[in-house]
Amino acid sequence: MDEVRMVRDSYPEPAPPTAREIAQAKALLNEPPRRSPSRLRWGLGGVLAAAAAATAAITLVGGNTVVGGNTPGGGKAVAQPGTVNLDARGAILAAAEKAEQQPIGKYWYIDQIDGQSYIMRPKTGTYAITGAHSEMFSWWGAKSGMGEGHYGRDLPAHPLTAQDAALWRKDGSPSSFRVWSGDHYYTYTARAQKWQMDGPERGTDPRGGGGGFVGAPGMSVKDLQNLPADPAKLAERFLSDEALAKRVDPSGRSAGRREGLRLPPSVKISMAGALAMDPVPPKVRAGLMRALADQPGIHAIGRDSDPLDREGVALASDDRATTVTGEYGGPKAERGTYRSRAVIVFDERTGAVLSVQEELTKPGGPYSEMKPGFVINYIAYRSAGWTDAKPKPQAELPFS
Amino acid sequence: MTGDSPPRPAERFDEVFDVYFAEIHRYAAKRLGPDAAADIAAQTFLEAFRQRGRYDPERANVRTWLYGIATKVIGRHQRAETRALRAGARLGPGRNFEEHTDRVDSRVSAEGLRGELAWAIAALPRGQRDVLLLVALADFSHDEVAAALGISYGTVGSRLNRARTTLRKALGGTNPMLTLEEQHG
Repeated sequence: MDEVRMVRDSYPEPAPPTAREIAQAKALLNEPPRRSPSRLRWGLGGVLAAAAAATAAITLVGGNTVVGGNTPGGGKAVAQPGTVNLDARGAILAAAEKAEQQPIGKYWYIDQIDGQSYIMRPKTGTYAITGAHSEMFSWWGAKSGMGEGHYGRDLPAHPLTAQDAALWRKDGSPSSFRVWSGDHYYTYTARAQKWQMDGPERGTDPRGGGGGFVGAPGMSVKDLQNLPADPAKLAERFLSDEALAKRVDPSGRSAGRREGLRLPPSVKISMAGALAMDPVPPKVRAGLMRALADQPGIHAIGRDSDPLDREGVALASDDRATTVTGEYGGPKAERGTYRSRAVIVFDERTGAVLSVQEELTKPGGPYSEMKPGFVINYIAYRSAGWTDAKPKPQAELPFS
Repeated sequence: MTGDSPPRPAERFDEVFDVYFAEIHRYAAKRLGPDAAADIAAQTFLEAFRQRGRYDPERANVRTWLYGIATKVIGRHQRAETRALRAGARLGPGRNFEEHTDRVDSRVSAEGLRGELAWAIAALPRGQRDVLLLVALADFSHDEVAAALGISYGTVGSRLNRARTTLRKALGGTNPMLTLEEQHG
């Protein structure tokens, strides 16, 4: 006992932050100035016709890609889709478990796109656009010292789906979109940006590589390759409250003191999604999906498609309500309550994550004119995999 | 090409926010009161978001890093903190306090201790106060305080010792509560 404890005991326990305070703080982070990729806001849909052709531009000689659909190079490990049992969640990744082990290449790369849906309400009809839209391309050498690089670019804002595109044309095909963004108006444009190497989380490091993957702090490629495929072990290691406490506080000193550290299902989904896009074996991806499916508050929902129009099997969190108040002003049409859930879509052939997206379940508030399944925001993995040639981001835009 | 500061994709920031917001808010509320807490916490995460490219996992874990930023943000509101402490409005008994007072000499009233302690904390130089409160309110080890504030391990120890000495003197040197506790281990 000492002065420190006396001080500690003298400070009364304050009330926790209110939902409104949390939402307000989060809204600050979601403002356009951040303009940076690697976030969990995204939404979109869209025309993917060009994407397949676009990805062909990427130079991936001998590369093995884990994201199917529009992958460049034609990964060897990609099997043809077999029969999918839509009911049994256990069957969800049976194919992935049989997937061939991919040989490790020299470089691992991830190309991801994120977007957030916004609502346009012209007299000609309400439609959704994707704004706060960006793409991030990262690569890591298989071993430390082989280097790593991170590129980012803003993507042009565009109508979300084909239906939205039709209404956008009725609206006169505008190239800029003034929308309400949480607590202010912001105008997104259809301007494209070249790949940027400067700024937060961007640039190259010739000494990097070998580790530092998103969602796998402190783990090397070897560590990732040696992960167990057993869902229970993976869940204990990555999805349990204890695992979270450890990650939060590696020393374990104060883990026990901070009670109430609980991982919401939606966060588990994004954490597992990030880990699955790291260089882990297909069996581990399958194990992660099963582990996720076994979590309380998460269940299999059968087939779903991602904003790049790729189909896969999906898991979703229980839905929850979000209420938009008028405290920051803004149009009345943006106010009200809607319900949504976090969804993760997997390619059942490879176990690769296609996207993690927030989907509307009960229209209301800003999305009162949208239908269930409407994608509020997303992160979609355009491609990811091993390659022997030093990866470079493709110039072609994903939606055009 | 930027070879100097290796870019590191930070943890996805939404996750960081979801996991730590309540805790940082609690720290801010304790130091500056409930009214300022939301602003301080929001500001902390905004700055953390902007600086995330500079976050170095080799040096500090995410929690330590966030507390370091929060402490700097609170530092900009130093006058508000000392004012609040001097008003004695926010320092009250913790949940163990009743238990303590039962065992403590009746000369030390809850009000008296609270007032003296609050005043003493308010009078501490900012550097000492930051160290003391990171240890007391965030359960930080010396290593963590050093990483959060960007100071040496030795400096953490000396600041904490000076802060403790100041508090002990302010509370009368032979505070019966301390004596009693020390006797009982």
